[in-house]
Amino acid sequence: MDLRDSFRNATRAIFAAKMRSFLTMLGIIIGIAAVVMLMAVGNGTKQSILSRMQSSGSGNLYLTAGARSNVLMGGGGFGGGNRGGASAGAKITAEDLTYVEARVTYPIVVSPTNQTNITIKNGDTTMSGTGIFATPTYFEVENVTIANGRMISTSDIDNRTRNVVIGATVQTTLFPNESAVGQPIRINGASYKVVGVATAKGESMGSSVDTAIVLPFSVGEKSFGVVHNVIQRTTIKCVDPTQSLAVTTEITDILTRKHKKVDFSIQDVAAMTALVTSSMTILTTLLAAIGGLSLLVGGIGIMNIMLVSVTERTREIGIRKALGARERDILVQFLIESSLLSIAGGILGIAISVLGSDFIVSRFTTTSVTGSSILLAVGFSIAVGVFFGVYPARTAARMKPVDALRYE
Amino acid sequence: MNLIEFSDIRKVYTIGSITIDALAGVSFEIGEHEFVAIMGPSGSGKSTLMHILGCLDTPTSGAYRLEGRDVSQLRSNDLASIRNRDIGFVFQSYNLLPQLSALENVLLPCTYSTHAISGRDERARAHELMERVGLKDRMYNRPVEMSGGEQQRVAIARALMMNPPVILADEPTGNLNSKGAREILNIMKELHTDGKTIIYVTHDDTIGAQAERVIRIQDGRVVADERN
Repeated sequence: MDLRDSFRNATRAIFAAKMRSFLTMLGIIIGIAAVVMLMAVGNGTKQSILSRMQSSGSGNLYLTAGARSNVLMGGGGFGGGNRGGASAGAKITAEDLTYVEARVTYPIVVSPTNQTNITIKNGDTTMSGTGIFATPTYFEVENVTIANGRMISTSDIDNRTRNVVIGATVQTTLFPNESAVGQPIRINGASYKVVGVATAKGESMGSSVDTAIVLPFSVGEKSFGVVHNVIQRTTIKCVDPTQSLAVTTEITDILTRKHKKVDFSIQDVAAMTALVTSSMTILTTLLAAIGGLSLLVGGIGIMNIMLVSVTERTREIGIRKALGARERDILVQFLIESSLLSIAGGILGIAISVLGSDFIVSRFTTTSVTGSSILLAVGFSIAVGVFFGVYPARTAARMKPVDALRYE
Repeated sequence: MNLIEFSDIRKVYTIGSITIDALAGVSFEIGEHEFVAIMGPSGSGKSTLMHILGCLDTPTSGAYRLEGRDVSQLRSNDLASIRNRDIGFVFQSYNLLPQLSALENVLLPCTYSTHAISGRDERARAHELMERVGLKDRMYNRPVEMSGGEQQRVAIARALMMNPPVILADEPTGNLNSKGAREILNIMKELHTDGKTIIYVTHDDTIGAQAERVIRIQDGRVVADERN
């Protein structure tokens, strides 16, 4: 019997009992939809966490004062520098950075920053934001680009000029109708001049440049009470991101020698990324396994219906055998039928999960339906159809023709 | 050479501790082109005999030669191929597949054939056979849309599809009115004239009287074997 005949027979049998076929497929539809959607939630969450981590630049290291036991402890992020397990009196100074830069053998870019909460005012409009005291390297290291105007320059630092770069949200909030570049702005009551506007970037590592104002590093100590010669957080960019581990080790050695103890910590975004990736992969696998359970139940449903179908069609099996059908022919006939049921269920399940995750689940959380999860779902539904179809099909194939023909 | 040789065929059923000899040593030969009626009351073993003749069942012991080949202990695949090529079945209850059209039912044996025949040739032959049994206009009807006599004629066309030497008919007129029965019997006679060997299982003496030879079965044994 050729395969085309077999497929025609199978579809005929499936359509002959539409309601039953649909209910049988429903188990697979729900199972596949559950697998694909749960994986979409897992993958989506992973991707959104990773993209937030990576928008600050891969290969970045964060140097802060105070030893930490774990890379993920303390949460990182701006302003987190003195939180957590910072040991008393531990600090990173400008000399430390000069010392490190002079000795590191890998190419790096160092961006020291301090940060404080500020009130920003233009005319009658006021907003609160973050003041970031930084050097020109800040823009390169944190991937901050300028939409309008210019960056903080070296001469701004040297001369303690009151020139600032404002974030995109600050521009739209305080200067809704005009470009802020060249305009005066009041920060904590004092007057500054806007020289540039940063491109909107969204949140990164727990903070956003959009609601911040970048001021020359040297201005902080004079006007905002930032402790003299203490750097809250230093971002170190490895020019070659693959060297981040080696750079971490080297800087740790250099600073430990200088401080005679480990009273600082270096967070490696790449290492954190790897950790998040692996834990999110475990989560996604777990979610897929939960979905897989419902697929298993769906598979048992297929087996159950196929067994009923075999019993109901005993006489048909007898007739086919009387006309010369071999065991293999009957086996293939029922296997194709169960596989078609589960493949059709799988395809419907994928359609439902794609629609569902795009239009419903995505309102609550980030989702991402990946090609691999669809392939997995299709493969799994074929496997379910074959696996749970084998037993009923073999039951049918092994019937003795005389018994099958006599069946009423 | 005889087409069919039964020598001391026995079929024993065991139900619990009871053994039933459905066939208690049956021997006969059927030559080519014979028209044989196998007759006997119900419970005589003629159904069992027919199943073994049709390779739908295997005997407990004894030798069954079909075209000189012992088929009594063949494996299921070989038996399937014999049923496909050497024997055409006509059953009392027609046994058409209800989901298929008449033409598709006639074509069904081809799907299990190991000999490659082109689809066009198969269809041409199926059309020819439907015409021969007088159902040229009913090719695309489903069995439920046909009378019993028409369904049985479709079954005969199906039995002829693979051009087997033997037609094995099990009470083919049992469910039909006298007109339908007459038509079926006439087709059987024509097939006999055309050279088929007809084995016709019945308990109806008027039909038996029209066969060339009657083998009577009772209690699992041949009690009479006479030519008309």
